[in-house]
Amino acid sequence: MSHEMIAIVMFSSMMLMLFTGQRVFGAIGAVGAIAAVTLWGTGGSDIPFSSAMKLMKWYPLLTLPMFIFMGYVLSESKIADDLYKMFHVWMGPINGGLAIGTIGLMVLVSAMNGLSVAGMAIGATIALPELLKRGYDKRMVTGVIQAGSSLGILVPPSVVLVLYAMIARQPVGQLWLAGVIPGLMMATMFIIYIAVRCKINPSLGPVLPPEERTVSTAEKLRLLRAGLLPLVIFAAMMVPFVNGWTSLVESSAIGAMTAFAAAVLKGRMTKAVFETSVRQTLAISCMFMWIILAALGFGAVFDGLGAVRAIDNLFTQQLGLEPWMILVLMQLSFLLMGTFLDDTAMLVIVAPLYVPLVQALGFDLVWYGVLYTITTQIAYMTPPFGYNLFLMRAMAPKEITLRDIYGSILPFVMIMVLALTLIMLFPQIALWLPEYVYGK
Amino acid sequence: APAIAQSKITWRLQTYAGPALAEHVVKPAIDAFNKVAGDEMEIELYFADQLVPTGELFRAMQKGTIDAVQSDDDSMASPTEVTVFGGYFPFASRYSLDVPVLFNQYGLNEIWDEEYSKVGVKHLSAGSWDPCHFATKDPINSLEDLKGKRVFTFPTAGRFLTQFGVVPVTLPWEDIEVAVQTGELDGIAWSGITEDYTVGWADVTNYFLTNNISGAWAGSFFANMDRYQELPDHLKELLKLAMDSSHYYRQWWYWGGEAALRVNGPKMQLTTIPDEEWATVENAALKFWDEIAAESETKAKVVNIFKQYNADMVKAGRPYRYG
Amino acid sequence: MNLARRFVKIVDTINYRIGRVVMYGIFVMVGVLLWSSISKTFFLPSLWTLEVAQFCMVAYYILGGPYSIQMGSNVRMDLFYGEWSDRRKAQIDCITVFFLITYLGIMLYGAWDSTAYSLQYNERSPTAWRPYLWPIKVTMCIGIFLMLLQAISELIKDIFKIKGVAL
Ligand code: NA
Ligand code: NA
Repeated sequence: MSHEMIAIVMFSSMMLMLFTGQRVFGAIGAVGAIAAVTLWGTGGSDIPFSSAMKLMKWYPLLTLPMFIFMGYVLSESKIADDLYKMFHVWMGPINGGLAIGTIGLMVLVSAMNGLSVAGMAIGATIALPELLKRGYDKRMVTGVIQAGSSLGILVPPSVVLVLYAMIARQPVGQLWLAGVIPGLMMATMFIIYIAVRCKINPSLGPVLPPEERTVSTAEKLRLLRAGLLPLVIFAAMMVPFVNGWTSLVESSAIGAMTAFAAAVLKGRMTKAVFETSVRQTLAISCMFMWIILAALGFGAVFDGLGAVRAIDNLFTQQLGLEPWMILVLMQLSFLLMGTFLDDTAMLVIVAPLYVPLVQALGFDLVWYGVLYTITTQIAYMTPPFGYNLFLMRAMAPKEITLRDIYGSILPFVMIMVLALTLIMLFPQIALWLPEYVYGK
Repeated sequence: APAIAQSKITWRLQTYAGPALAEHVVKPAIDAFNKVAGDEMEIELYFADQLVPTGELFRAMQKGTIDAVQSDDDSMASPTEVTVFGGYFPFASRYSLDVPVLFNQYGLNEIWDEEYSKVGVKHLSAGSWDPCHFATKDPINSLEDLKGKRVFTFPTAGRFLTQFGVVPVTLPWEDIEVAVQTGELDGIAWSGITEDYTVGWADVTNYFLTNNISGAWAGSFFANMDRYQELPDHLKELLKLAMDSSHYYRQWWYWGGEAALRVNGPKMQLTTIPDEEWATVENAALKFWDEIAAESETKAKVVNIFKQYNADMVKAGRPYRYG
Repeated sequence: MNLARRFVKIVDTINYRIGRVVMYGIFVMVGVLLWSSISKTFFLPSLWTLEVAQFCMVAYYILGGPYSIQMGSNVRMDLFYGEWSDRRKAQIDCITVFFLITYLGIMLYGAWDSTAYSLQYNERSPTAWRPYLWPIKVTMCIGIFLMLLQAISELIKDIFKIKGVAL
């Protein structure tokens, strides 16, 4: 079989297997393993397992269970309730204020955890019911929560950027910093969008009834203190890391323990919360790790059978495209693949193919990491398949239909595409902060 | 034509170097080999950890998952008696030419061949790379400064350095640059300054210690025994030529590069531990040699060769040894 | 039938119990990493922390894998799957689970091969701490084997579901 043929056969069998609905890791792993046994030649059967040893040595993956645990502690213990109340009172008098407050909430939550899952959980369980109760437009607010939770992996800490860093061999610290301004920029764009739409059509986001928002100034200020907690957790994790006192993985452990301690001190760490956090951390970590394991095996086989070179060759030699066109094509292909591939799978399968190409084309890999992250976030939100879509469906109240969810994301996706374009045209949006801090 | 394409021999060779370094230390030779071998054979080059992780590399080659490997014995953890001598055995050699001399004229080739044959692997050809220096975030001006430094280094060199308070850390080669930045490492004792610049380590560290713990890396090309035996003689010969050309490229590339970057390199500041103080380390190495020699007969044999060689060099005087 | 029922019961129980213990491994990892930063700040950095944390991580997700299957947390692409009836899902799973079983079988073969090598040559990690590698590899063999049993258990449960027989 030619290299091109192998690439096509392996890729399409994987797609087919995924469509059957078998567990993603099983689908990817099986195609890789069967190809290894049948096509590799001597000793091919050892490749899937040797990926497990490779994965063991990927030390930044240790941050994964830490950030997952942190996210569950934050969402399960309802620490975020106080934050929500803060925004509720402060933003209530404005049309669409609660939705704007939700974006603010998401920014704070994303500074405390590395995945979009926690943001989604907090948004769907705390913010969404409240928003619906106040008569907010259900389509708009569903979109707010999905879009807001995508900030989770753009604002540091971010697990996706850690994984990307491993694949692209780029410094995690710089990648995290590169995500800050684009993250805040996107949050601002969401807020502007909500404000403008609610200004034009106030019924989308009614003002809170006065009796709910007439709170004494002292009380209002007291509520502001809730906002300190995320800052404390963020600082406990990031200050030692940025100063080089602790390593990345150590910092993630400190973050997990700080969140845990905060929940205990606030009296929110009940037996049930503890049980759910610990159990779900195992469940989600296992999901991620098995997918990464399977994808690493698939990747090594794909690579060793010459399929990677075939793709490389196609892009750079045969099509003879300009670097910018290749870059745009890659982004488009992510969006396409994001409609049927799981997020982690996409990261571990596709990124290793693209990253060397991006580098060869002369683009900055830190900058590309930010583009990549935003693109995958868009991909997770766009139907028919998307991680955020599924989570939303699982977590949203009954009155929100799948149709609502699909319909809700369109304007936000457009905003994200706009943000993406801006960052592509002006790389300094992403690169200014890391260059400033690390004095590159 | 398909008929020819089907009988074409294809090897997968994984080097322990990442793409940036491989561009110099192995790729030119492989490209040349493939060009000459034409339709008869192709060696596909893979980089550090690309197909199998370094820890599994030896077994993968022994089994035939990978056909050939470029690595030092030490970081690949070969299950042989000579493994500790690969990479940087402390102070075993002073110049990069010492390594081929030791292998070709002092009998190491035969010992290596015997040891690797026992475990089903063909030891093809040993070559030399650069000296082993510290590249660190904070300056090292005395042995005291080494204490508590978490440093990426070779296993055996690491074992030796622990007595000076160094904390050796082993991570995948490709992750080192990031690990320095994520605070997993304080520095690197893995290479000379050429490699620091080539692979990007000079961008994440600030200081280069001019004292070295070995003058030359020793590593080899290896192949799965069966795959090697299957090669026709003329391809075996071509392989040898390609490997020799790779060794030769590295001799001048590193020798010139080390000097040029020390003198003109803008990214790292040089520091030096005074000779009298560094003598402690050199003397400790001699003790370390004896400890290793006591471990087995083969190891004692190799250590004796090192001793003999170094004694000869001292006797020979300039330019082999000054002072 | 009864044999199949017993198999499911035993496998599910063992994997459930192991999973319930392993899930607390998160605190072991936290402990090791915190000790790593404490020892680094106040004493000499430890040689062993990173590797121990890595071993824990591997044990955590490999031994916890079967329990995660029981919890249904392994994501599926449910573009079509999500629309199907439970019976239909069980039918398709009955077929596709053989791919999962094949994958786990090949993994197990590789794991065993690697473990045998480890034992034969007394393989040690090429680090200054030099731990023996067989304990973690044996752990991985066990975990993958249990994962395989869990996959078979899922298959049996699906067959029962299709036949409309209670477990
Ligand atoms: Na975040
Ligand atoms: Na999508």
